[in-house]
Amino acid sequence: MAETSFEFRLERMFAEAPPAPDADLFTLQVLERLDRGWNARRLLIGAMGVLGGLIGGYEILSTGVTGQVTGYFGQANDFLARHVAASVSGALAPGGIYVDVQAIWLAGALLVVATGFGLARLVREI
Amino acid sequence: MTTQRTLAGVHDLELVALGRTGDRAAFGELVRRHGSAVRALVRRMGADAAAADDVAQDAFLSAFEQIAEFRGEGAFRTWVSRIAARLYARRWRREARAGLLAEGTDADDPSRALGADARIDLDDALKALSDPERICVSLCYGVGLSHAEAAVALNAPLGTVKSHVKRGLDKLRSRLSPDGDGGRRRQVGG
Repeated sequence: MAETSFEFRLERMFAEAPPAPDADLFTLQVLERLDRGWNARRLLIGAMGVLGGLIGGYEILSTGVTGQVTGYFGQANDFLARHVAASVSGALAPGGIYVDVQAIWLAGALLVVATGFGLARLVREI
Repeated sequence: MTTQRTLAGVHDLELVALGRTGDRAAFGELVRRHGSAVRALVRRMGADAAAADDVAQDAFLSAFEQIAEFRGEGAFRTWVSRIAARLYARRWRREARAGLLAEGTDADDPSRALGADARIDLDDALKALSDPERICVSLCYGVGLSHAEAAVALNAPLGTVKSHVKRGLDKLRSRLSPDGDGGRRRQVGG
């Protein structure tokens, strides 16, 4: 009986814990670590999305859809794209390396995706 | 998103329900309420303050991950304390201190004896125990694990755990009893 009483008392003593003076700081640290985990996941999901987008983009390009789309846009648009490609080639590769028009479109699409991610992050931070 | 002010009066179970939906403020309130108890438990198991904070943080993160598994059959504090206790037990084993679980270790180390005028409370009394006794007693009486569960958590033979618990209890009884070494015992509320 005395043994049980002592054990019960011991359990109650273990259950008693004085509040730590830095409880708020501890809470903040836990939440920060939680955020870090979420950010890593978001980054991973974003990276997977970009990878998926690239694969999808490659598949679309390889089916020749871009050729048809380019046709719809007409010669003026084609001229513009080629002009941009030539400018980019000149700026990025003065040695004369050819930059494909499709690569320009793809880079533009990726830029849009990256801007979207950036905006989403900015909105979340605000 | 709920604010901390509005969460102050909310029951743990409701906070858990909010936490399940990803409400970080609600989970933060749970951490604020029970963080001190979890840290104290891990310190009582033998961790230093920094290690106790690390383990307690890991326990809360783990609790957030597994919050859907909390059915509300017991208190949230008990649940997260058990997670923390198991995490610390694993860490303790990993740090090769588990060799201390062998019988006849530093249980009677005189350097662990308390001064006669020391204020006797649980934290002080636990210092009189060897590391294995301390962790075994904490697992069984701090978070309510059975001897068998403690043996699994420590990856130690059941008989060894039982004997550490018994020796630890004997020491604590003598330290915490009115006529024990310290002479004064802490009043237990309730």
